[in-house]
Amino acid sequence: MTAPPAAAEQSREALHAPTGRSWRSLLQPLLIVVAGVGWMVYVNNSGLDSIAQRVLTPGYVTRKTWEHVELTAMSTLLVLVIALPLGVLLSRRWARPATPVVLAVANIGQSAPAIGVVVLLAVVWGIGFWTAVVALVAYGVLPALRNTMVGLQQVDPTLRDAGRGIGMSALTVLRRVELPLAAPVILAGVRTTLVLMVGTASIAAFINGGGLGELVTTGVTTQRTPVLLTGCFLIALLALLIDWLGGVAARLLAPKGL
Amino acid sequence: MGFWEYLRSRRELLVFEAWQHASMVFQCVLLALVLGVLIGLLVYRSPRLSALATGASGVLFTVPSLALFGLLITPLGLGVAPSVTALVLYSLLPIVRNTVVGLSGVDRTLVDAARGLGMGRGRVLLRVELPLAWPVILTGARVATQLAMGIGAIAAYVSGPGLGEQIFSGLGRLGGANSVNMTLAGTLGIIVLALLFDACFLLLGRLTTPRGLRV
Repeated sequence: MTAPPAAAEQSREALHAPTGRSWRSLLQPLLIVVAGVGWMVYVNNSGLDSIAQRVLTPGYVTRKTWEHVELTAMSTLLVLVIALPLGVLLSRRWARPATPVVLAVANIGQSAPAIGVVVLLAVVWGIGFWTAVVALVAYGVLPALRNTMVGLQQVDPTLRDAGRGIGMSALTVLRRVELPLAAPVILAGVRTTLVLMVGTASIAAFINGGGLGELVTTGVTTQRTPVLLTGCFLIALLALLIDWLGGVAARLLAPKGL
Repeated sequence: MGFWEYLRSRRELLVFEAWQHASMVFQCVLLALVLGVLIGLLVYRSPRLSALATGASGVLFTVPSLALFGLLITPLGLGVAPSVTALVLYSLLPIVRNTVVGLSGVDRTLVDAARGLGMGRGRVLLRVELPLAWPVILTGARVATQLAMGIGAIAAYVSGPGLGEQIFSGLGRLGGANSVNMTLAGTLGIIVLALLFDACFLLLGRLTTPRGLRV
Protein backbone atom coordinates (compact mmCIF):
# COMPACT_ATOMS: atom_id res chain seq x y z
CA MET A 1 0.00 0.00 0.00
CA THR A 2 1.29 3.41 -0.92
CA ALA A 3 -0.14 6.67 0.33
CA PRO A 4 -2.98 7.94 -1.86
CA PRO A 5 -2.30 11.04 -3.93
CA ALA A 6 -2.41 14.36 -2.15
CA ALA A 7 -5.56 15.34 -4.02
CA ALA A 8 -7.49 12.65 -2.18
CA GLU A 9 -6.48 14.10 1.17
CA GLN A 10 -7.30 17.60 0.16
CA SER A 11 -10.68 16.71 -1.23
CA ARG A 12 -11.53 15.05 2.04
CA GLU A 13 -10.56 18.10 4.09
CA ALA A 14 -12.04 20.54 1.66
CA LEU A 15 -15.41 18.86 1.68
CA HIS A 16 -16.33 20.78 4.79
CA ALA A 17 -18.06 24.01 4.07
CA PRO A 18 -15.76 26.99 4.32
CA THR A 19 -16.56 29.51 7.01
CA GLY A 20 -16.90 33.02 5.66
CA ARG A 21 -15.43 36.08 7.29
CA SER A 22 -18.50 38.26 7.01
CA TRP A 23 -21.54 38.64 9.28
CA ARG A 24 -22.88 35.53 7.64
CA SER A 25 -20.53 33.41 9.75
CA LEU A 26 -22.49 34.50 12.82
CA LEU A 27 -25.81 34.00 11.08
CA GLN A 28 -25.10 30.31 10.57
CA PRO A 29 -24.89 29.20 14.24
CA LEU A 30 -27.86 31.42 15.04
CA LEU A 31 -29.92 29.73 12.33
CA ILE A 32 -28.87 26.32 13.58
CA VAL A 33 -29.95 27.06 17.17
CA VAL A 34 -33.21 28.62 15.99
CA ALA A 35 -33.91 25.58 13.81
CA GLY A 36 -33.26 23.21 16.72
CA VAL A 37 -35.42 25.10 19.21
CA GLY A 38 -38.11 25.67 16.59
CA TRP A 39 -38.22 21.95 15.81
CA MET A 40 -38.58 21.06 19.50
CA VAL A 41 -41.44 23.53 19.92
CA TYR A 42 -43.12 22.26 16.75
CA VAL A 43 -42.77 18.58 17.61
CA ASN A 44 -44.04 19.06 21.17
CA ASN A 45 -47.17 20.75 19.81
CA SER A 46 -47.86 18.21 17.10
CA GLY A 47 -50.05 15.89 19.12
CA LEU A 48 -47.57 13.31 20.40
CA ASP A 49 -48.75 10.11 22.02
CA SER A 50 -47.63 9.26 25.55
CA ILE A 51 -44.56 7.22 24.53
CA ALA A 52 -43.17 9.93 22.30
CA GLN A 53 -44.02 12.57 24.86
CA ARG A 54 -42.05 10.82 27.55
CA VAL A 55 -38.91 10.82 25.39
CA LEU A 56 -39.23 14.26 23.87
CA THR A 57 -39.25 16.33 27.05
CA PRO A 58 -36.87 19.31 26.94
CA GLY A 59 -34.94 17.90 29.91
CA TYR A 60 -34.28 14.51 28.29
CA VAL A 61 -33.37 15.94 24.91
CA THR A 62 -31.02 18.49 26.50
CA ARG A 63 -29.35 15.73 28.49
CA LYS A 64 -28.83 13.60 25.39
CA THR A 65 -27.47 16.60 23.49
CA TRP A 66 -25.07 17.32 26.33
CA GLU A 67 -23.96 13.64 26.39
CA HIS A 68 -23.31 13.89 22.68
CA VAL A 69 -21.19 17.00 23.20
CA GLU A 70 -19.33 15.25 26.02
CA LEU A 71 -18.60 12.21 23.86
CA THR A 72 -17.41 14.43 21.02
CA ALA A 73 -15.28 16.71 23.20
CA MET A 74 -13.72 13.94 25.24
CA SER A 75 -12.82 11.79 22.23
CA THR A 76 -11.54 14.74 20.19
CA LEU A 77 -9.38 15.84 23.11
CA LEU A 78 -7.93 12.35 23.55
CA VAL A 79 -7.35 12.00 19.81
CA LEU A 80 -5.39 15.25 19.77
CA VAL A 81 -3.42 14.41 22.92
CA ILE A 82 -2.32 11.16 21.26
CA ALA A 83 -2.03 12.18 17.62
CA LEU A 84 -0.31 15.57 17.82
CA PRO A 85 2.80 14.59 19.86
CA LEU A 86 3.06 11.30 18.02
CA GLY A 87 2.80 13.08 14.68
CA VAL A 88 5.56 15.52 15.70
CA LEU A 89 7.79 12.67 16.88
CA LEU A 90 7.24 10.67 13.71
CA SER A 91 8.11 13.62 11.50
CA ARG A 92 11.58 14.05 13.08
CA ARG A 93 14.45 13.17 10.83
CA TRP A 94 15.45 10.04 12.75
CA ALA A 95 11.92 8.67 12.45
CA ARG A 96 11.60 9.27 8.71
CA PRO A 97 12.07 5.60 7.74
CA ALA A 98 8.96 4.74 9.77
CA THR A 99 6.77 7.27 7.93
CA PRO A 100 5.60 5.05 5.03
CA VAL A 101 4.78 2.25 7.46
CA VAL A 102 2.68 4.53 9.67
CA LEU A 103 0.92 6.04 6.64
CA ALA A 104 0.13 2.58 5.28
CA VAL A 105 -1.29 1.46 8.62
CA ALA A 106 -3.29 4.69 8.80
CA ASN A 107 -4.73 3.98 5.35
CA ILE A 108 -5.76 0.46 6.22
CA GLY A 109 -7.21 1.67 9.52
CA GLN A 110 -9.23 4.26 7.70
CA SER A 111 -11.03 1.64 5.67
CA ALA A 112 -12.31 0.05 8.88
CA PRO A 113 -16.03 0.85 9.22
CA ALA A 114 -16.79 3.00 12.27
CA ILE A 115 -19.69 0.83 13.34
CA GLY A 116 -17.44 -2.24 13.21
CA VAL A 117 -14.84 -0.66 15.50
CA VAL A 118 -17.49 0.51 17.97
CA VAL A 119 -19.33 -2.82 18.14
CA LEU A 120 -16.12 -4.85 18.27
CA LEU A 121 -14.92 -2.96 21.33
CA ALA A 122 -18.31 -3.31 22.98
CA VAL A 123 -18.38 -7.05 22.32
CA VAL A 124 -14.91 -7.49 23.74
CA TRP A 125 -15.09 -4.97 26.55
CA GLY A 126 -18.69 -4.40 27.52
CA ILE A 127 -20.96 -1.48 26.78
CA GLY A 128 -20.99 2.05 28.15
CA PHE A 129 -19.72 5.62 27.84
CA TRP A 130 -16.03 4.86 28.20
CA THR A 131 -16.08 2.01 25.69
CA ALA A 132 -17.68 4.44 23.28
CA VAL A 133 -14.96 7.01 23.95
CA VAL A 134 -12.19 4.44 23.43
CA ALA A 135 -13.82 3.27 20.20
CA LEU A 136 -14.15 6.83 18.94
CA VAL A 137 -10.51 7.53 19.79
CA ALA A 138 -9.38 4.33 18.08
CA TYR A 139 -11.32 5.38 15.00
CA GLY A 140 -10.17 9.00 14.95
CA VAL A 141 -6.51 8.75 15.90
CA LEU A 142 -5.12 7.49 12.59
CA PRO A 143 -6.52 10.24 10.32
CA ALA A 144 -5.44 12.91 12.81
CA LEU A 145 -1.97 11.38 13.06
CA ARG A 146 -1.60 11.26 9.31
CA ASN A 147 -2.79 14.82 9.00
CA THR A 148 -0.21 16.10 11.52
CA MET A 149 2.56 14.27 9.69
CA VAL A 150 1.48 15.55 6.29
CA GLY A 151 1.22 19.08 7.68
CA LEU A 152 4.74 19.01 9.06
CA GLN A 153 6.14 17.33 5.96
CA GLN A 154 4.95 20.04 3.62
CA VAL A 155 6.96 22.69 5.46
CA ASP A 156 9.67 23.92 3.10
CA PRO A 157 12.93 22.24 4.22
CA THR A 158 14.93 25.32 3.25
CA LEU A 159 13.07 27.27 5.96
CA ARG A 160 14.02 24.61 8.47
CA ASP A 161 17.64 24.87 7.35
CA ALA A 162 17.47 28.65 7.54
CA GLY A 163 16.23 28.37 11.12
CA ARG A 164 19.11 26.11 12.00
CA GLY A 165 21.46 28.44 10.15
CA ILE A 166 20.59 31.46 12.29
CA GLY A 167 21.46 29.43 15.35
CA MET A 168 18.11 28.00 16.50
CA SER A 169 18.16 24.63 18.21
CA ALA A 170 16.15 21.79 16.68
CA LEU A 171 13.48 22.33 19.32
CA THR A 172 13.26 26.05 18.65
CA VAL A 173 12.97 25.40 14.91
CA LEU A 174 10.09 23.06 15.64
CA ARG A 175 8.39 25.59 17.91
CA ARG A 176 9.05 28.78 15.97
CA VAL A 177 9.16 27.60 12.34
CA GLU A 178 7.68 24.18 11.67
CA LEU A 179 4.60 24.17 13.92
CA PRO A 180 3.41 27.68 12.95
CA LEU A 181 3.83 26.86 9.25
CA ALA A 182 2.04 23.54 9.62
CA ALA A 183 -0.70 25.06 11.77
CA PRO A 184 -3.31 25.60 9.01
CA VAL A 185 -3.15 21.98 7.89
CA ILE A 186 -3.12 20.67 11.46
CA LEU A 187 -6.05 22.90 12.45
CA ALA A 188 -8.04 21.81 9.39
CA GLY A 189 -7.38 18.28 10.60
CA VAL A 190 -8.68 19.14 14.07
CA ARG A 191 -11.88 20.37 12.45
CA THR A 192 -12.16 17.17 10.43
CA THR A 193 -11.63 15.16 13.61
CA LEU A 194 -14.39 17.10 15.38
CA VAL A 195 -16.87 16.43 12.59
CA LEU A 196 -15.84 12.78 12.37
CA MET A 197 -16.34 12.42 16.13
CA VAL A 198 -19.80 14.04 16.15
CA GLY A 199 -20.94 11.65 13.47
CA THR A 200 -19.42 8.57 15.03
CA ALA A 201 -20.68 9.56 18.48
CA SER A 202 -24.22 9.04 17.18
CA ILE A 203 -23.30 5.38 16.74
CA ALA A 204 -22.40 5.20 20.43
CA ALA A 205 -26.11 4.77 21.16
CA PHE A 206 -25.86 1.21 19.84
CA ILE A 207 -23.56 0.32 22.72
CA ASN A 208 -25.29 2.37 25.44
CA GLY A 209 -22.79 5.18 25.18
CA GLY A 210 -25.47 7.85 25.35
CA GLY A 211 -25.86 10.80 23.02
CA LEU A 212 -28.48 11.83 20.50
CA GLY A 213 -28.22 8.52 18.67
CA GLU A 214 -30.38 7.14 21.47
CA LEU A 215 -33.32 9.16 20.14
CA VAL A 216 -32.79 7.49 16.77
CA THR A 217 -32.67 3.96 18.18
CA THR A 218 -35.61 4.65 20.52
CA GLY A 219 -37.56 6.05 17.59
CA VAL A 220 -36.90 2.95 15.51
CA THR A 221 -37.60 0.37 18.25
CA THR A 222 -40.78 2.07 19.48
CA GLN A 223 -41.79 2.98 15.91
CA ARG A 224 -42.30 6.62 16.81
CA THR A 225 -41.38 8.71 13.78
CA PRO A 226 -41.30 12.06 15.65
CA VAL A 227 -38.67 10.68 18.05
CA LEU A 228 -36.61 9.30 15.16
CA LEU A 229 -36.84 12.54 13.21
CA THR A 230 -35.93 14.64 16.25
CA GLY A 231 -32.84 12.52 16.83
CA CYS A 232 -31.70 12.73 13.21
CA PHE A 233 -32.45 16.41 12.93
CA LEU A 234 -30.64 17.35 16.14
CA ILE A 235 -27.61 15.21 15.25
CA ALA A 236 -27.38 16.94 11.88
CA LEU A 237 -27.72 20.40 13.47
CA LEU A 238 -25.15 19.62 16.17
CA ALA A 239 -22.71 18.41 13.51
CA LEU A 240 -23.16 21.62 11.52
CA LEU A 241 -22.72 23.71 14.67
CA ILE A 242 -19.55 21.91 15.69
CA ASP A 243 -18.18 22.16 12.15
CA TRP A 244 -18.76 25.91 12.36
CA LEU A 245 -17.00 26.06 15.74
CA GLY A 246 -14.08 24.12 14.27
CA GLY A 247 -13.89 26.58 11.39
CA VAL A 248 -13.89 29.57 13.73
CA ALA A 249 -11.26 27.97 15.97
CA ALA A 250 -9.07 27.20 12.96
CA ARG A 251 -9.27 30.81 11.84
CA LEU A 252 -8.59 32.31 15.27
CA LEU A 253 -5.73 29.96 16.14
CA ALA A 254 -3.94 30.12 12.78
CA PRO A 255 -0.81 32.24 12.95
CA LYS A 256 -1.19 35.67 11.36
CA GLY A 257 0.54 36.30 8.06
CA LEU A 258 -0.12 32.93 6.46
CA MET B 1 -15.73 -21.59 18.15
CA GLY B 2 -12.50 -20.12 16.84
CA PHE B 3 -12.52 -17.37 14.23
CA TRP B 4 -11.26 -19.61 11.41
CA GLU B 5 -13.77 -22.28 12.29
CA TYR B 6 -16.51 -19.64 12.21
CA LEU B 7 -15.38 -18.40 8.82
CA ARG B 8 -15.34 -21.94 7.47
CA SER B 9 -18.76 -22.88 8.81
CA ARG B 10 -20.44 -19.68 7.53
CA ARG B 11 -18.49 -19.47 4.31
CA GLU B 12 -21.48 -19.32 2.01
CA LEU B 13 -23.33 -16.67 3.99
CA LEU B 14 -20.21 -14.54 4.35
CA VAL B 15 -19.36 -14.74 0.67
CA PHE B 16 -22.94 -13.82 -0.18
CA GLU B 17 -22.96 -10.84 2.16
CA ALA B 18 -19.55 -9.68 0.97
CA TRP B 19 -20.77 -9.93 -2.62
CA GLN B 20 -23.89 -7.92 -1.74
CA HIS B 21 -21.79 -5.29 0.00
CA ALA B 22 -19.36 -4.98 -2.89
CA SER B 23 -22.10 -4.87 -5.48
CA MET B 24 -24.08 -2.27 -3.51
CA VAL B 25 -21.04 -0.02 -3.15
CA PHE B 26 -20.06 -0.52 -6.79
CA GLN B 27 -23.50 0.30 -8.16
CA CYS B 28 -23.98 3.28 -5.87
CA VAL B 29 -20.59 4.78 -6.71
CA LEU B 30 -21.15 4.16 -10.42
CA LEU B 31 -24.52 5.91 -10.28
CA ALA B 32 -22.97 8.72 -8.23
CA LEU B 33 -20.13 9.00 -10.76
CA VAL B 34 -22.57 9.46 -13.65
CA LEU B 35 -24.76 11.90 -11.73
CA GLY B 36 -21.82 13.72 -10.16
CA VAL B 37 -19.99 14.27 -13.45
CA LEU B 38 -23.25 15.49 -15.03
CA ILE B 39 -23.80 17.94 -12.17
CA GLY B 40 -20.18 19.02 -12.38
CA LEU B 41 -20.53 19.62 -16.13
CA LEU B 42 -23.64 21.70 -15.58
CA VAL B 43 -22.14 23.99 -12.95
CA TYR B 44 -18.42 24.30 -13.62
CA ARG B 45 -18.66 27.22 -16.03
CA SER B 46 -20.37 29.46 -13.53
CA PRO B 47 -18.39 30.32 -10.38
CA ARG B 48 -21.59 31.02 -8.47
CA LEU B 49 -23.19 27.68 -9.32
CA SER B 50 -19.92 25.88 -8.59
CA ALA B 51 -19.74 27.50 -5.16
CA LEU B 52 -23.36 26.54 -4.54
CA ALA B 53 -22.79 22.92 -5.55
CA THR B 54 -19.64 22.47 -3.49
CA GLY B 55 -21.13 24.39 -0.54
CA ALA B 56 -24.24 22.23 -0.54
CA SER B 57 -22.12 19.08 -0.71
CA GLY B 58 -20.06 20.37 2.21
CA VAL B 59 -23.14 20.85 4.37
CA LEU B 60 -24.56 17.44 3.42
CA PHE B 61 -21.22 15.83 4.10
CA THR B 62 -21.21 17.17 7.63
CA VAL B 63 -24.52 15.44 8.37
CA PRO B 64 -23.68 12.13 10.12
CA SER B 65 -24.68 8.97 8.29
CA LEU B 66 -26.92 7.59 11.04
CA ALA B 67 -28.96 10.80 10.91
CA LEU B 68 -29.31 10.60 7.13
CA PHE B 69 -30.36 6.93 7.25
CA GLY B 70 -32.91 7.76 9.95
CA LEU B 71 -34.32 10.68 7.98
CA LEU B 72 -34.67 8.44 4.91
CA ILE B 73 -36.65 5.77 6.78
CA THR B 74 -39.69 8.03 6.94
CA PRO B 75 -40.20 8.56 3.20
CA LEU B 76 -38.55 5.37 1.90
CA GLY B 77 -39.18 2.71 4.53
CA LEU B 78 -36.63 0.04 5.38
CA GLY B 79 -34.40 -2.04 3.12
CA VAL B 80 -32.57 -1.35 -0.10
CA ALA B 81 -34.16 2.00 -0.97
CA PRO B 82 -32.83 4.12 1.94
CA SER B 83 -29.46 2.36 1.84
CA VAL B 84 -28.90 3.07 -1.84
CA THR B 85 -30.18 6.64 -1.58
CA ALA B 86 -27.89 7.45 1.33
CA LEU B 87 -24.86 5.83 -0.28
CA VAL B 88 -25.42 7.63 -3.58
CA LEU B 89 -25.85 10.96 -1.77
CA TYR B 90 -22.63 10.54 0.22
CA SER B 91 -20.72 9.32 -2.83
CA LEU B 92 -21.93 12.29 -4.88
CA LEU B 93 -20.19 14.79 -2.67
CA PRO B 94 -16.51 14.06 -3.36
CA ILE B 95 -17.29 13.32 -7.01
CA VAL B 96 -19.13 16.61 -7.69
CA ARG B 97 -16.44 18.52 -5.87
CA ASN B 98 -13.57 16.87 -7.73
CA THR B 99 -15.33 17.19 -11.09
CA VAL B 100 -15.71 20.93 -10.57
CA VAL B 101 -12.13 21.29 -9.34
CA GLY B 102 -10.78 19.11 -12.15
CA LEU B 103 -12.69 20.84 -14.94
CA SER B 104 -11.96 24.35 -13.76
CA GLY B 105 -8.30 23.41 -13.36
CA VAL B 106 -7.95 22.76 -17.09
CA ASP B 107 -5.66 25.35 -18.67
CA ARG B 108 -7.81 27.85 -20.62
CA THR B 109 -5.13 28.22 -23.28
CA LEU B 110 -5.56 24.52 -24.13
CA VAL B 111 -9.29 25.02 -24.59
CA ASP B 112 -8.60 28.05 -26.78
CA ALA B 113 -6.10 26.06 -28.79
CA ALA B 114 -8.64 23.28 -29.33
CA ARG B 115 -11.25 25.81 -30.38
CA GLY B 116 -8.70 27.34 -32.72
CA LEU B 117 -8.16 23.94 -34.31
CA GLY B 118 -11.83 24.03 -35.22
CA MET B 119 -13.25 21.71 -32.55
CA GLY B 120 -16.82 22.34 -31.41
CA ARG B 121 -17.86 22.83 -27.80
CA GLY B 122 -18.78 19.18 -27.33
CA ARG B 123 -15.60 17.88 -28.89
CA VAL B 124 -13.47 20.19 -26.75
CA LEU B 125 -15.23 18.79 -23.70
CA LEU B 126 -14.83 15.16 -24.76
CA ARG B 127 -11.33 15.34 -26.24
CA VAL B 128 -9.63 17.97 -24.09
CA GLU B 129 -11.38 18.95 -20.88
CA LEU B 130 -12.70 15.63 -19.59
CA PRO B 131 -9.49 13.66 -20.29
CA LEU B 132 -7.44 16.32 -18.51
CA ALA B 133 -9.79 16.41 -15.52
CA TRP B 134 -10.19 12.62 -15.40
CA PRO B 135 -7.46 11.80 -12.83
CA VAL B 136 -9.00 14.28 -10.37
CA ILE B 137 -12.52 12.92 -11.00
CA LEU B 138 -11.26 9.39 -10.48
CA THR B 139 -9.68 10.40 -7.17
CA GLY B 140 -13.10 11.72 -6.14
CA ALA B 141 -14.65 8.37 -6.99
CA ARG B 142 -11.96 6.63 -4.97
CA VAL B 143 -12.67 8.71 -1.87
CA ALA B 144 -16.39 8.10 -2.45
CA THR B 145 -15.83 4.34 -2.58
CA GLN B 146 -13.94 4.36 0.72
CA LEU B 147 -16.72 6.37 2.33
CA ALA B 148 -19.45 4.16 0.90
CA MET B 149 -17.74 1.02 2.19
CA GLY B 150 -17.87 2.22 5.79
CA ILE B 151 -21.28 3.86 5.57
CA GLY B 152 -22.64 0.78 3.84
CA ALA B 153 -22.06 -1.11 7.10
CA ILE B 154 -24.53 1.17 8.89
CA ALA B 155 -27.06 0.45 6.13
CA ALA B 156 -27.73 -2.86 7.87
CA TYR B 157 -29.45 -0.86 10.61
CA VAL B 158 -32.16 0.11 8.13
CA SER B 159 -32.25 -3.54 6.94
CA GLY B 160 -29.97 -2.82 4.02
CA PRO B 161 -27.85 -5.55 2.43
CA GLY B 162 -24.20 -6.32 3.05
CA LEU B 163 -21.61 -7.20 5.66
CA GLY B 164 -23.08 -4.76 8.17
CA GLU B 165 -25.54 -7.53 9.00
CA GLN B 166 -22.69 -9.50 10.58
CA ILE B 167 -21.77 -6.53 12.76
CA PHE B 168 -25.33 -5.91 13.89
CA SER B 169 -25.94 -9.63 14.53
CA GLY B 170 -22.82 -9.59 16.68
CA LEU B 171 -24.18 -6.60 18.56
CA GLY B 172 -27.54 -8.34 18.99
CA ARG B 173 -25.86 -11.39 20.53
CA LEU B 174 -23.64 -9.30 22.81
CA GLY B 175 -21.89 -11.64 25.23
CA GLY B 176 -23.23 -14.72 23.48
CA ALA B 177 -21.33 -17.29 21.50
CA ASN B 178 -19.98 -16.06 18.16
CA SER B 179 -20.67 -12.38 18.80
CA VAL B 180 -16.96 -11.56 18.56
CA ASN B 181 -16.60 -13.77 15.49
CA MET B 182 -19.52 -12.14 13.72
CA THR B 183 -18.39 -8.58 14.42
CA LEU B 184 -14.82 -9.41 13.48
CA ALA B 185 -15.90 -11.12 10.27
CA GLY B 186 -18.02 -8.13 9.24
CA THR B 187 -15.37 -5.55 10.10
CA LEU B 188 -12.43 -7.40 8.55
CA GLY B 189 -14.51 -8.28 5.51
CA ILE B 190 -15.24 -4.62 4.87
CA ILE B 191 -11.57 -3.69 5.33
CA VAL B 192 -10.53 -6.34 2.81
CA LEU B 193 -13.19 -5.19 0.33
CA ALA B 194 -12.12 -1.56 0.76
CA LEU B 195 -8.49 -2.42 0.09
CA LEU B 196 -9.44 -4.51 -2.94
CA PHE B 197 -11.50 -1.67 -4.38
CA ASP B 198 -8.68 0.76 -3.70
CA ALA B 199 -6.27 -1.48 -5.60
CA CYS B 200 -8.75 -1.60 -8.50
CA PHE B 201 -8.85 2.20 -8.52
CA LEU B 202 -5.06 2.36 -8.71
CA LEU B 203 -5.16 -0.01 -11.66
CA LEU B 204 -8.05 1.81 -13.31
CA GLY B 205 -6.25 5.11 -12.84
CA ARG B 206 -3.16 3.75 -14.53
CA LEU B 207 -5.15 2.27 -17.42
CA THR B 208 -7.45 5.23 -18.09
CA THR B 209 -5.15 8.19 -17.54
CA PRO B 210 -4.27 9.71 -20.92
CA ARG B 211 -0.73 8.75 -21.85
CA GLY B 212 0.56 12.32 -21.85
CA LEU B 213 -0.56 12.88 -18.26
CA ARG B 214 1.23 9.90 -16.78
CA VAL B 215 4.12 10.70 -14.54
